[in-house]
Amino acid sequence: MARMSVKMAGAAALISVLGALSAPAMAQYPDRPVKMIVPWAAGGDTDNIFRPFAVELQKHIGQPVVIANVGGASGTTGAREAKAAAADGYTLYAVHDYIHLTFYAGISDVKYSDFEPICLVAATPSVLTASSKTPWKNWAELAEDAKKRPGEITVGATLGSTSHIFPAMIEKAANLKFKFVSYDGLAPRMNALLGGHINLTDSNLTQKGKVEAGLLRYIAIASEKRDPESPDVPTLKELGMNIVYEVARGVMVPKGTPAPVRAKLEEGCAKAVKEPSFAQAMKLQGTRVAYLNATDYAKFLAKIDGENKVVMTDLGLIKK
Amino acid sequence: MLDLLWSGLVNVAQWKYLLPLFAGTFIGVIGGSLPGVTITMTVIVVLPFTYGLDPLAGLAAMTGVYVGGSTGGLIACCLLGIPGSPASIATTFDGFPMARNGEPGRAIWLGVWASVWGGLLGALFLVFLTGPLAAIALEFGPWEYFSLFVLAMAMVAGLAEASLLKGLISTAIGLLITVIGHDPIGSVPRFTFGSGFIGGGFPFLPVLIGIFAFAQIMTDLEKLNLPGGQATPSLAGIKLERFSHLKVNLEIFRQPFQLAWATIVGLIIGILPAIGGSASSVMAYDQAKKFSKTPERFGKGHPEGIIASEASNNANVSGSLMTIMAFGIPGDAVTAVMLGAMTIHGIQSGPLFISQNPDIAYGIYAAYILAHPCMLLICLALMPLMLRVTSVRMAVLAPVVLVLCIVGAYALNNTMQSVYVLLLFGVVGYGLVKLGFPLAPLILGLILGDQIEINLVRAIMTDANPWLFLTRPISGGLLLAAAGSVALAVWQHLRHQNRVAEETPDF
Repeated sequence: MARMSVKMAGAAALISVLGALSAPAMAQYPDRPVKMIVPWAAGGDTDNIFRPFAVELQKHIGQPVVIANVGGASGTTGAREAKAAAADGYTLYAVHDYIHLTFYAGISDVKYSDFEPICLVAATPSVLTASSKTPWKNWAELAEDAKKRPGEITVGATLGSTSHIFPAMIEKAANLKFKFVSYDGLAPRMNALLGGHINLTDSNLTQKGKVEAGLLRYIAIASEKRDPESPDVPTLKELGMNIVYEVARGVMVPKGTPAPVRAKLEEGCAKAVKEPSFAQAMKLQGTRVAYLNATDYAKFLAKIDGENKVVMTDLGLIKK
Repeated sequence: MLDLLWSGLVNVAQWKYLLPLFAGTFIGVIGGSLPGVTITMTVIVVLPFTYGLDPLAGLAAMTGVYVGGSTGGLIACCLLGIPGSPASIATTFDGFPMARNGEPGRAIWLGVWASVWGGLLGALFLVFLTGPLAAIALEFGPWEYFSLFVLAMAMVAGLAEASLLKGLISTAIGLLITVIGHDPIGSVPRFTFGSGFIGGGFPFLPVLIGIFAFAQIMTDLEKLNLPGGQATPSLAGIKLERFSHLKVNLEIFRQPFQLAWATIVGLIIGILPAIGGSASSVMAYDQAKKFSKTPERFGKGHPEGIIASEASNNANVSGSLMTIMAFGIPGDAVTAVMLGAMTIHGIQSGPLFISQNPDIAYGIYAAYILAHPCMLLICLALMPLMLRVTSVRMAVLAPVVLVLCIVGAYALNNTMQSVYVLLLFGVVGYGLVKLGFPLAPLILGLILGDQIEINLVRAIMTDANPWLFLTRPISGGLLLAAAGSVALAVWQHLRHQNRVAEETPDF
C-alpha cells in the first residue's frame, strides 16, 4: 500500500512537471525541431528549392527545420503522410501544383483543401525545350512543321503531371497535335532529348548549361516577362499564346493546426523569402521568389485548382 | 589532362578534403553492409552535412559513400548470405558458399580486392574516356534499352542451376511481381483486387530482402536442431582460416581478362541511366560463368563469381559518375543527390561542367580514385571485427539480422507497407527455396520487369513500327547477342549434363 502511494505520488509529480513544461510550450511554439515533408527525392527540383528555404525559415522561427524526403507514387506518399501528421505545427508540407493533378487523375485521395496554407514561396516558369537534333530554331518553325505533321512530333512527359499539362496547353492554344511519350522525371527526359529520342519536352531554366553548350534549344518560356538570366528566350505571350505556366511551390500544414501556430509560421516565412541569400539560391534554380501570405495563397490555390480541373477535363485525363 | 588529374589528387590529399572523403567511405561501408540500408539512403543522411562544407569536400564525402557502399555490401553477402545492398546480389551466390566451406576471410578479401581493382580500372575509363563513353548513353533510346533488357533476360538461362525449367518459372514469377500494383506509365491499377495494400505494389528492396534474408535464415534455423546442429547451417564455429592478401591478389590477376570484362560490363551498365548496380552485378556474374573454363563450379564457392560481381559493381560507380560529369544528367538516385548538392552550391552542371569547373571535376575524379585506398584501409581495420560474426550463435544472430532487415525496410519509405511486403516475400522466398527454385533468375526478373515494360511502351508510343527493334543497329546487335547467349547457355547446359552422365557410374 505504501509502495503504491509512493508510485502515485511519483506519477503525480511527473504529471505536474510535464504540465509545467507543456503550458509555456503551448504559448511558445516552436520549442522543438520542425519537420518539413518534401514529397520527392533529395536532389530534385523541389528539394533544391526547399532546402535553402528551410535554412532561412529556421533563422526566423528559432528552431531547426529538418527536411524529410518522403518520395514515391508521384509525390502522393508524402502527401498522405503530411495529411495524417499531427496538426501541431511540427510537420510542414512542401507542395506544388501536382497536388491538384494527382487528385483529379485519381492517383490520390489527398486534396489541397486537406491542408491549411501558410505561404507561397517560389514559382518556376516552365520552358518549352527542343532537342538540338530537331531542325527548329524558333517557335515559328516548330509550329509550321507541326501543322504539316500532326501527331508526329514527340513530347516526353510525366503523364498526368505538370510536364504533360504544360505542352498540352500549348497544343490547344496553337491548335497543334503532339505525340506524348511517357518519361517520368526530368532526368530521363533530358537524356532522351539529348539523344534525339524525343523532339520536345517541358523543362526549366536549370537546364541552361546544356543550352549554352548547344545540346538543347529553349523555344519559349511560360512566364509573364522574359527572364533576365535568359533574355533571348521569348515568352509564350509574345508568341500570341495566352499561357503563363509556373510550377508554384509553397508550404502548408495539416488541417486543424491552431491559428497562433500558423501565424508564427507565416511570419517566419514572410521574413525568410526576403533574405538575399534565398533570392540568390532561387536564381540558381531558374526560379523566382513568389511570396503570397496565407490568405492570398488560399485564394491562389482555389484558383489554380479550378484551372487544373478544367485543363484535366479538356485533356480527358479527369477521373474525379 | 594528366597534370589536371595530378593537381586534383594533390588538392584532395589535403586534410580538409581527405577527412570528409574518409568519413564518407566509412559511413558508406557501414551503410552498405547493413541489409535494407541502401547507398541512396546513406548518401541522403550525409547530404545535410555537406551544405556547410566547401562544395568539393561535400562531393568527396558523397563519392566516398558511393564507393564504400558498393563494397560494403559484400560483407553481409559472404557472412550471412544476404545481400547488404542490391548492388552485391551476385556476390552472395559464391561468397556465401565459400565462407561456409570454411574460408570466410578468403571470400571477403577476394571481394574487397576485386572491388579495388575493378574500381581503379573503372577510374582509368572515367578520367580518360568520359566524353566518348558518356555519348553511348545518348545513343540508347527506348528500343536499345528494351533489347538490352531482353539480352539480360536471356542470361537467365545461364543463371538457372540444375533445372532450366525451374529457372524460367522463377524468372516469370519475378516479372509477374513487377506487374502487380499501379502500372508505371498510366498508373492503372493491376491485379490489386481493390486492396490498398496490393495497390501500393511490391517495391524492389523489401522483396529482395524478404526473399533472401528470410529464405536464408529460416532454412538455417531449421537445421539447428538436426544432429550435427550448429556447425553445418551457420558459419559459427568455423575457425578463421589463415589467408594471405598476396594469394588473393594472385587469384584475381590469374585471369586478367575476366577482371577486365567484369569491369567493362559494370561500366557500361553504370553509364546507362536507371539500370543500376544490381543488374551489373548479376550480368557480370553471368558473363564470368559463360567465359569460365569451369562453369560448373559456379554457385559452389567459385572465386571467379565473387571477383566478377564485385569488380563490376564498383566499376558501375565510375560509369554513373560519367553521365553526371559529361551532361549533368544523374544516372541513378545517388548521383541525383550529388547533382542536387552541386546545384545548391551554385555549380552549373551540364556539358560544360568539366571545362568550366576543372578544379571540382578533377577533384571528383581524385576523390573517386582516393576512395579506394581509403576503403581498403577501412576494411583492413573492420574485417577482424566483422569476421567475428562467424562466432556468434545462430540463435542470437538470426533475430538481430531479421530486426535490422525490418528496420531497413521501414526506413526505406517510412511506411509499414514495406515491412508487410518484406514479410510476405519472406514466406514466398522460403517456399521457393524449399521447392528447389533458384532465386537469382527471380531477382533478375524483378530488376528488369518495370524497365522492360516502360521501354517497350515508350518505343511504341514514339513510333509504332515494330521493325525498329531490329533495324536500329545497336538494338539489333543486342537482340542478336541475346539469341547467341541463349544458344551458348543451352550448349553449356547440355555439355554439363552429358559429362555428369558420363561420370556417374551405373549401379
